[in-house]
Amino acid sequence: MSAQSHELHLLTGAYAVDALTGDELDDFEQHLRQCRSCAEEVSGLQETAARLGLAAAIAPPPSMRDQVLDAANRVRQLPPPGVRRITADGPRPRRRLIRRLPRPIAVTAMAAVIVVLAIVQVGTRHQLQQAEANSQAIASVLAASDARIELGSSTVGGTVTAVFSEHDREAVITASGMPTPSDARVYQLWVMRGASARSVGLLPGSSAGATSPVLADDVQPGDQLAITIEPAGGTRQPTSSPIAAIHTRP
Amino acid sequence: MNTPSVGQQPHGRGHSEGHGHDLAGLLAQVACGDHAAFEAVYDKLAGPVYGVARKVLRDPAQSEEVAQEVLLEVWRSASRFDPARGSAAAWVMTIAHRRAVDRVRAENAATAREQKAAPDGDTSEDVFELVDMALDRQRVRRCMGSLSALQAEAIKLAYYGGYSYPEVAGLLGLPLGTVKTRIRDGLIRLRDCMEVAP
Repeated sequence: MSAQSHELHLLTGAYAVDALTGDELDDFEQHLRQCRSCAEEVSGLQETAARLGLAAAIAPPPSMRDQVLDAANRVRQLPPPGVRRITADGPRPRRRLIRRLPRPIAVTAMAAVIVVLAIVQVGTRHQLQQAEANSQAIASVLAASDARIELGSSTVGGTVTAVFSEHDREAVITASGMPTPSDARVYQLWVMRGASARSVGLLPGSSAGATSPVLADDVQPGDQLAITIEPAGGTRQPTSSPIAAIHTRP
Repeated sequence: MNTPSVGQQPHGRGHSEGHGHDLAGLLAQVACGDHAAFEAVYDKLAGPVYGVARKVLRDPAQSEEVAQEVLLEVWRSASRFDPARGSAAAWVMTIAHRRAVDRVRAENAATAREQKAAPDGDTSEDVFELVDMALDRQRVRRCMGSLSALQAEAIKLAYYGGYSYPEVAGLLGLPLGTVKTRIRDGLIRLRDCMEVAP
């Protein structure tokens, strides 16, 4: 064992508790693919770390159960690794990509949630046609390989979810669990860049607790997606402080 | 928590053996789209997943978001769980801890954590596997007690605090190398104490 790989081997513990960052994490993960004994040790220490996690169990908010189980109805599952679609890039790089980039997985999962929300929430035929036109643009953002999901809480309660693709320069926003605004008030969505705010439109009314997704175009990394409460019909510029703001990151 | 197929301990580990076996079996059913199995997985693991997120993130709202993401991820990628590579609980908890740590390391998270620090939630576990959890907790506490003070502190800061090991070194005023080895030695001792395979 070389001095360097010995050094790396000592990082098994820090890796098992996710205490490595940056280059050191990359180096170690690369080493892990070649070092069987390291991989075995990491696997054992991850079991140990998991026990620390199990011992920390506390009851989540009761409402979370229905939300998660309900969302599972709308999330398409990954096929087993043995079932491989024939694609140009082949399954191997794909799997490696998935293992190394945990975050986009959630993007796809939530993307599926949002797409289905879009479909189930339109009632009339006319709305359905509109949604279909819109959903192609939305689907494109959600399917973008660089799509990232960002979640934010609203100060009036509820959660705002944004899926952002830097490549498409677009974001899809949906909100859930926010109270219905009082009479003659609406939720308005903005793209904020520096000191300027551009209206994306009004958040559609929610059914079953979640709003239909809204597409925002010309969104850049660093922009904020913000929601304010405005008079019915909306305003040209925000007249109140945002109740929710999500930073888009590359 | 033990792997049913590979790396099992011939002497077994009491309650956790059956528990872990159940979970791996349930995940196999989840992979086939079985919603009832997913409900059962939820009931077993939502508490630990949320608990670990709360430990690391402190903020209840953020913790709930992360817990939801993790549990949906379990639903989505259940087919990717490979019992030959570790236990089902470790698979889920690894996703959960990593996701919580990713969140805390994302920009602004450090300040958010301080501002939003909330007391640990009440630990009523009535909806969970009360007995299993209590036993786990007891065993973890006992095994933690067998570590040196530095080993225990470094592991707690890294795992429950979500700090990187250089941050742990800074907090404890110790050289990087020392913290690196304390975390590893401590985990190895914990592993042996808790008889975790392999």
